[in-house]
Amino acid sequence: MRVRKLNKSFPGVKALDDIDLEIYRDEVHALVGENGAGKSTLIKLLVGAYQRDSGEIYFSNQKVEFDSPAQAFQSGISVIYQENSLIPQLTVIQNIFLGMESFTSLGLINEDKIYQGYLDISKKLGFELPPYEEVRNLGVAEQKLVEILKALIHKAKFIIMDEPTASLSENEIEHLFRIISELKSNHVSVLYITHILGEVFRIADRITVLRDGKKIKTVFTKDVNRDEVITMMVGESLKDAYISEPAGIKKGQQPVLKVENLYRKPRINGVSFEAFPGEVLGITGLTGAGKTELARLIFGADKLQGGLILINNKSVRIRSPLDAVKNGISLIPEDRKKDALILILELYKNITLPTLIQFSSKGVLLNRKEFDITQYFIKKLDIKTSGVNQVMKYLSGGNQQKAAISKWLQTEPKVLIMDEPTQGIDVKAKVEIHTIVRNLAKSGVCVIFVSSEVSEVVKVSDRILVLSHGRISGEFKHGVRQEEIMRIILKEDE
Amino acid sequence: MNKKINLNLKGYSIKKNGILFVFILLCILLSIITPGFLSWANILNILRQSSIIGIMAIGTTFVIIGAGFDISVGSLLALTAAMCVGLQQHMHWGFAILLVLIVGALVGMLNGFLAAKIHIPAIIATLGTMTIVRGLVYLYTGGYPLYVDSQSFAFIGKGYLGPIPFPVIILIIMVIFWQFILVRTRFGRYTCALGGNKEAVRLSGVKVDFYHILTFVVGGLMASMAGVVYASRLLSVTPLAGQGYELDAIASTVIGGTSVSGGEGSVVRTLIGVLLLTIIANVFNLLGIHIYVQYVIKGAIILTAVGFDTYSKFRE
Repeated sequence: MRVRKLNKSFPGVKALDDIDLEIYRDEVHALVGENGAGKSTLIKLLVGAYQRDSGEIYFSNQKVEFDSPAQAFQSGISVIYQENSLIPQLTVIQNIFLGMESFTSLGLINEDKIYQGYLDISKKLGFELPPYEEVRNLGVAEQKLVEILKALIHKAKFIIMDEPTASLSENEIEHLFRIISELKSNHVSVLYITHILGEVFRIADRITVLRDGKKIKTVFTKDVNRDEVITMMVGESLKDAYISEPAGIKKGQQPVLKVENLYRKPRINGVSFEAFPGEVLGITGLTGAGKTELARLIFGADKLQGGLILINNKSVRIRSPLDAVKNGISLIPEDRKKDALILILELYKNITLPTLIQFSSKGVLLNRKEFDITQYFIKKLDIKTSGVNQVMKYLSGGNQQKAAISKWLQTEPKVLIMDEPTQGIDVKAKVEIHTIVRNLAKSGVCVIFVSSEVSEVVKVSDRILVLSHGRISGEFKHGVRQEEIMRIILKEDE
Repeated sequence: MNKKINLNLKGYSIKKNGILFVFILLCILLSIITPGFLSWANILNILRQSSIIGIMAIGTTFVIIGAGFDISVGSLLALTAAMCVGLQQHMHWGFAILLVLIVGALVGMLNGFLAAKIHIPAIIATLGTMTIVRGLVYLYTGGYPLYVDSQSFAFIGKGYLGPIPFPVIILIIMVIFWQFILVRTRFGRYTCALGGNKEAVRLSGVKVDFYHILTFVVGGLMASMAGVVYASRLLSVTPLAGQGYELDAIASTVIGGTSVSGGEGSVVRTLIGVLLLTIIANVFNLLGIHIYVQYVIKGAIILTAVGFDTYSKFRE
């Protein structure tokens, strides 16, 4: 597969910038880069899920234009995503041959031919699965294998694997690597996307590093070491554009929030930390480390199975978002459309929702007061809207996010937790939100800034915690270089 | 990129108020074809015919805005009507009415509990209660019609205040009252919000389940009020009372522009929907169109009204 000068933009964001990439036959090619570097976008372009803005894609030396993933699939390109695309209640064999069934002359499914086909392919790869077992009864690792077989039956010449070892045990990873080698000797190329550099060095022939939508370099694995790859992923340490003035942290203050040994299976396994008024506390880590779960836990969105939460050194019971709000904790959730905003309602109705009591007198709503506070936030956060009455779904992503922030700001929280607040937002709005965060801290609010984008966390935070496998695995003060954080984050594989 | 069609003209959404235009158009048309259509007598007649379903549909509107569904209201009407009549053997009709209103609210609370806390899909939950309540009606009446003979009680369903039938007065007052609640109170705001996105409302620190159940209580309360009016009009109740009323109530609600996905709707527009169905039924009767045909037409209207709403949302 070859791509030349591939470009893709979304409103306000250049996701891929002049990408040139070549993947040879019989090669395992690793694609690495931070969150937001453009890996997902590239995959989606290769398989026809997105349409490119400009550039060319060649597959087997022929120029291709895929209108849909189905087309790419037919042409021999398969993707194995993190979330599997199998039908849970169908059997292994039914899933593998879905859409490729052989029929008898009577039009019935030819079970024998299919079974034979299955035997051939699994012998080729050297493993066996229970063919008549329902997929939902298999473990994650086996399901991944089913997906690989499915790809092969559909005559894949090129398989893209996105974070294939997530949720796999050491043994299963070994097995997967052996199978990838088998694929290679069967002339199937593999594009392997992962965060775990140790794996890259075990299995990949070449590595391509993406950063901010650009291709940095493609190298032979044997020619580089881990640190060099990390440096390519992260780039030069950027000067801190934001932390030129200290936030509102005063010396000797009590922590406004303290959590001890928070537990919630399976994601949170004993988290303890302190957060102070006037500081921006960044929390970062890989996807699946437990960041969103932690945020939701502190806010009472999910039930706590163990541990303590203390506000101003007093232990509090947070069993629901209502309890959290009463104790001055607010959360701006990761998925703002699903969890934070009511899209068919107007802007002002969304903003006043958490504290509606304050906007009513004897049960009757005071619309004037609602409009006033909405206007206040429109001005303060520069929300682009046609008015307080505009229906939420017509605002752009960045402005929706500002609305979500306004909604929680007007509760005047002591602790504001923001989960991936700049996800899917254009660069300009991103900077605006960062400024809002710093100003909030200056005014004495404790902001917990959760994000998987390390560069962003480094810019905005006074202190940074790294979360791995549901535990705090590192703590840094502002001024730390991105690489140091990346090193701790990627320590999984040691 | 997709074009977002913003059907907002000076704050009035064509989509939402489309039914109002249709209604006005129809009235104008009919007043041309049938002189006397817009006479007071006829208007009051239409309102009176719409009052029982209309009162019931107010409750249905609240439930559907809250993204719920309630098909037990027809059976509930029968139960409360039967009890209202039957209890008058033991007490004054004033207390009987009070009691059945409480029964209605309690059944509503049960529906709400099953839907909100046990998470039975509302349509299935109310299917269950509908069957149970209908069974209770049979048990209570022993399978026979119940009668009552009280002129003061009959005033509710048959009396007039001036030229206006009393049920119409009840209907108008209830519409104004509940529309106010929906648009201008916290309860109404929470109802719209949770119908639009229940999880987001929960994560905003609101007691969603409480308000969700409350919408069903309103549904049950209005159904029982409709039952009282029904009993008072006929001064008798058979075990088959109210069968199919839920269809008309829900049809009126969705024709009136309340979205089945929840979050938006209006009691006033539901009233328009009720009037529309009544007028269409009247016209059909006058034209001698068989009742069976009316069923077909009614069903087609429901599909058109709801389909228009859901499909345009899908396109967005």
